[in-house]
Amino acid sequence: MLERRSALENDLQQSGRDGAKGDRALKLGEVRGWSLVQAAGFPTEAAEFEAALSSLVGTGLPAKVGDGVTAQGRTIMRVGPEHFWILGPEKDDLAERLSQAVAPTVGSILPLSHSRTRIFIEGAAAREVLAKGIPFDFDAGVFKIGQFALTGLHHTPVLVHRTAADRYEIYAMRTFAHSIWEWLTDAALPVGYEVVK
Amino acid sequence: MMKGSSYRLPQGGRIDRSRLLSFTLDGTRINGFAGDTLASAMLANGVALVGRSFKYHRPRGLMAAGIEEPNGLLTLGEGGRQEPNIPATMTDLVEGLVARRQNGWPSVEFDLMAVNSLASPLLTAGFYYKTFMGPTRGSWMFYEPYIRKAAGLGEGTYEPDPDRYETRNEFADVLVVGAGPAGLAAALTAGRSGARVVLVEQDSDLGGSLLSEPIENVAATWLHQRKTELQDLPNVRALTRTTAFGLYDGNTVALIERRDHLSPDPKKGEARQIVVTLRARAIVFATGAIERPLVFPNNDRPGVMLASAARSYLNRFAVAPGKRAIVATNNDSAYRAAFDLAANGLAVTIADLRGEIDEKLRAIAARHGIELRAGTAILDIEGGKAVKAARLGPVGRSDAGELRPCDLVCISGGWSPTVHLTSHGGIKPVYREDIAGFVPGGFARGQYGAGAVLGTLGLEASILDGAEAGAQAASHAGHAATAVSLLSPAVEGEGRYAIAPQWQVQSAAHGKAFVDFQNDVTVKDIAQAHQEGYQSVEHLKRYTTLGMGTDQGKTSNINALAIMAGLRDVTIPEAGTTTFRPPYSPVALGAIAGRSVGHHFRPVRLSPLHDWHLANGAAMTPAGPWMRAWYYSWAGKDAAEAYVKEMDLVRHGVGIADVSTLGKIDVQGPDAAEFLNRIYVNGFAKLPVGKARYGVMLNDDGLVLDDGTTTRLSETRFFMTTTTAQAGEVMSWVEFLLQAAWPELKVHVASLTDEWAAMAVSGPKARQALALAFPREDVGDNKLPYMGALEFTHDGVPVRLIRLSFSGELAYEVYTPADHGIALWEHILKAGAPLGIKPYGLEALASLRIEKGHVAGLELDHRTSLDDLGLGKMAGKEKPYIGKELRHRPLLQAPERWSLVGIECLESDKRLRGGSILFLKDDKIEGHGRGYITSVTWSTELNKYIALGLFSGGLRHEGEEIVCAYPIKGEQVRARIVSPHFIDPKGERLYA
Repeated sequence: MLERRSALENDLQQSGRDGAKGDRALKLGEVRGWSLVQAAGFPTEAAEFEAALSSLVGTGLPAKVGDGVTAQGRTIMRVGPEHFWILGPEKDDLAERLSQAVAPTVGSILPLSHSRTRIFIEGAAAREVLAKGIPFDFDAGVFKIGQFALTGLHHTPVLVHRTAADRYEIYAMRTFAHSIWEWLTDAALPVGYEVVK
Repeated sequence: MMKGSSYRLPQGGRIDRSRLLSFTLDGTRINGFAGDTLASAMLANGVALVGRSFKYHRPRGLMAAGIEEPNGLLTLGEGGRQEPNIPATMTDLVEGLVARRQNGWPSVEFDLMAVNSLASPLLTAGFYYKTFMGPTRGSWMFYEPYIRKAAGLGEGTYEPDPDRYETRNEFADVLVVGAGPAGLAAALTAGRSGARVVLVEQDSDLGGSLLSEPIENVAATWLHQRKTELQDLPNVRALTRTTAFGLYDGNTVALIERRDHLSPDPKKGEARQIVVTLRARAIVFATGAIERPLVFPNNDRPGVMLASAARSYLNRFAVAPGKRAIVATNNDSAYRAAFDLAANGLAVTIADLRGEIDEKLRAIAARHGIELRAGTAILDIEGGKAVKAARLGPVGRSDAGELRPCDLVCISGGWSPTVHLTSHGGIKPVYREDIAGFVPGGFARGQYGAGAVLGTLGLEASILDGAEAGAQAASHAGHAATAVSLLSPAVEGEGRYAIAPQWQVQSAAHGKAFVDFQNDVTVKDIAQAHQEGYQSVEHLKRYTTLGMGTDQGKTSNINALAIMAGLRDVTIPEAGTTTFRPPYSPVALGAIAGRSVGHHFRPVRLSPLHDWHLANGAAMTPAGPWMRAWYYSWAGKDAAEAYVKEMDLVRHGVGIADVSTLGKIDVQGPDAAEFLNRIYVNGFAKLPVGKARYGVMLNDDGLVLDDGTTTRLSETRFFMTTTTAQAGEVMSWVEFLLQAAWPELKVHVASLTDEWAAMAVSGPKARQALALAFPREDVGDNKLPYMGALEFTHDGVPVRLIRLSFSGELAYEVYTPADHGIALWEHILKAGAPLGIKPYGLEALASLRIEKGHVAGLELDHRTSLDDLGLGKMAGKEKPYIGKELRHRPLLQAPERWSLVGIECLESDKRLRGGSILFLKDDKIEGHGRGYITSVTWSTELNKYIALGLFSGGLRHEGEEIVCAYPIKGEQVRARIVSPHFIDPKGERLYA
């Protein structure tokens, strides 16, 4: 298999930095070993499309944009009225099975596993750091675990997914990944961060 | 040490006498206490002079104790941290502070520039528009440098700022602006409802006007209790040293949070200032009011200050600004200053401009031993660098009056509600006769006011206001709240106003009567503006510069428009106010920029092959947001040398270039072919599966939007490429069309620019190279003809080959998912090594296509049409497509339109330059000429400079000699118009 290389290969070799108080309140790193499929139904075929998709992922689909549902090792996000992102394991035959189950007149299937870099930020100071660049209300009572936001960071579109109480995953465009990583580590400097290799 | 200074009171104040701080003023070390501002520390040390005025270089002292201070602007810091024009009243004293007074040379104490005062009749409003106009037209540029040097107050620095600034976003249910009594009541009420409350206060402490109450009285106790309560509410955040400087749509407020008092270390990532964009469901404006001065001759002398300022220095900072005070006022509020000054041992005389004075106030004054004179005004002040005496006389009679020695004059012309922020949304303030001031003209939905900003000047009423507003705001934000009564302190003599406005004291004295202290604008200037026809407040402002200083007229605007109204004989509402715009007070641009500095002023976009280029001798160059490989060291030591060698390799061997930056779009659906057919000028509906086609798309206006290649992968799937520069725009365009123009079409589009890495393998040996790289695939001409596509798996990963050429040679684009990009690139280089394959960069890429006559971004600038580019024959005749109608409009068919030509240089010792203006041989070389050069390169094939350009009449002039003029360098070069297809015009190499 031809070698895979992350956009953050060099960045992840860096060591972390101590914060102003001498501690490291955050962990930063990249999530590897996953696949992403975008599946979208045409409006007139929405019901048929969602039934097929739901059946293949083995769970009901999230009702509104911003909600994520996890089942059978995959997370399904509704990223548009008829658009879904399915995140699964790196080796996943879901894209092929979806292409067979969903006729071109019903919807479209598109693998996008390489188009995004998946960066995680973890720690009590995570919200404070994200607030520096993302115009979104990350208050723990407002943006709950499992929800995601389609928003922007450093003039690029990002998807931010809250996966645990103090953990957020940022899907940055791969070509902007290094720039986003530089921005994040700079924003995290006052509180200090560890780079998880 | 403080011993020996008679200005600091032995006790009282909110300063911490256990923490002595030392700072330098003009190089001299002096001391103050923690809790002092630079202003109060200066006063405590008997420094009466804080600077020299803007125009006249008059000696000036502190006028105020807050953000409205017009005189006490100092330069703080050194080196890269030097900052001019900072109000001393808003600067926390910190250990080691370096401060310098401004605008006096050689010193503020002894300023030679004060000679300006003698020339003052010449320096009235608009003097620079009337003088310095001659004797010749060019004279102004002679005077300008001298005027520029003399102008301004402080000086900045060119050294880089070492400090760190940040920005952040914040969200709240209720934002309360101002932490005076009304704001505190609002924040507490909203906070008790459970709402997320943010309270912002520009001062270093919460309390507002209450901070100037004597610390032992009930108001101070009330304040202390409210602060404690607020701290106990976890859902309330109080931000001090934070100014709300702008109100924007959608209940969005911009804040500037200052942290200089913490001595932040930029190396540790500590920010000195932070700009916060706060979005609130509801906002309560409790911004208070600002006192205004009285206008009379020499009212700008050091020692003349606002009555409330004297009270602040006294009660908050324990500084008595003098020994013998005269308090002149047209309202009741100044009496509190008089009482407190007397209680601290000063001899006090009150000159009340009003004829009638309230009995209660008379009684309290008498109790304090204060001399009270009704119907009396200050007609003049004596003393240059410090007040020595005030001339008191009866109101209405402007003659002599009686000279009274004093060293402190406290003036109160009334209070102006601070309506700046509430007016940013465009709701103009309205005048209220009863308080002789402007109040907000209304509030947008979800916005409320409370306290002095509404003209409520009593403590109890302000607190009630605040509680009510806080409850309404919290309810609006979805948290039911009631205005629980907050017991308000009963303070003697407080809460009365009874203003009888006197905008200008009539006096026979000849001295200047200042209205705007910062910009040195006097009553005479206003009269002159009126006389010369600049009568509207907007003209008054700009002609006299009144209200245009860093204080933005906080103490001068109302007095000025009232005086102008009087001159025009109109009412004050008829005169109106100027427009309030953000920022409320100055904000450093660095703070707004935050961390978008250096190369992060915008994000940087990198190809998946970026790291390989860096590791293998590529020089990188920015191309829009991208960094691209410009040329490689194997080919030469600089661009000029390298690109020639790289071009040569592609023309005679095989090279590989990174083209991952091209836009790539997935187009899927049963109507995909129809969609493409509508947006490209040429036909795509019948494109066979496995074939690519070059396409051009137009804007609605008939001009070219972009070109690219689209490949059909199946009946319902297409792979579209765009130029690098237009990728984003085309993506937005196709999304717009599918959502708004043709929502009935069943097509989905998605960007694949980041999903795939892309490489161009180009040159006569390109096929052989790919055959070596992919030995299990048939990449021969039959299987992969010109404009054919092939998909296969190599070593477990998908690879797509499309045979098309930008360079004009036999060429292929190779696509693979981005993470595999470098591995595949290295594989091709290794496999093709026996053929001498090497990488080539952007410079060569761009130059190769010029030789071929391919248009690119420089020609596709949204001003050129299909016909201009010589591509008119591409367009389908029958089918509809975007831009079809307007393509044929007369303007785009005009025969003299600038259209694409090739240009070859005729002078072997000269070069062609992009942007050169083109003329026919016998034209006069002036004006816009007949066209310009769009793209230039040295052609290795033809051994001369060649270019593409746009020329009036285009190839009708083929063969004619032209002149390429480059006026910036004074060059003119002879050239000839030729076909733009310099090499291989029949395209034989493409079909090899």
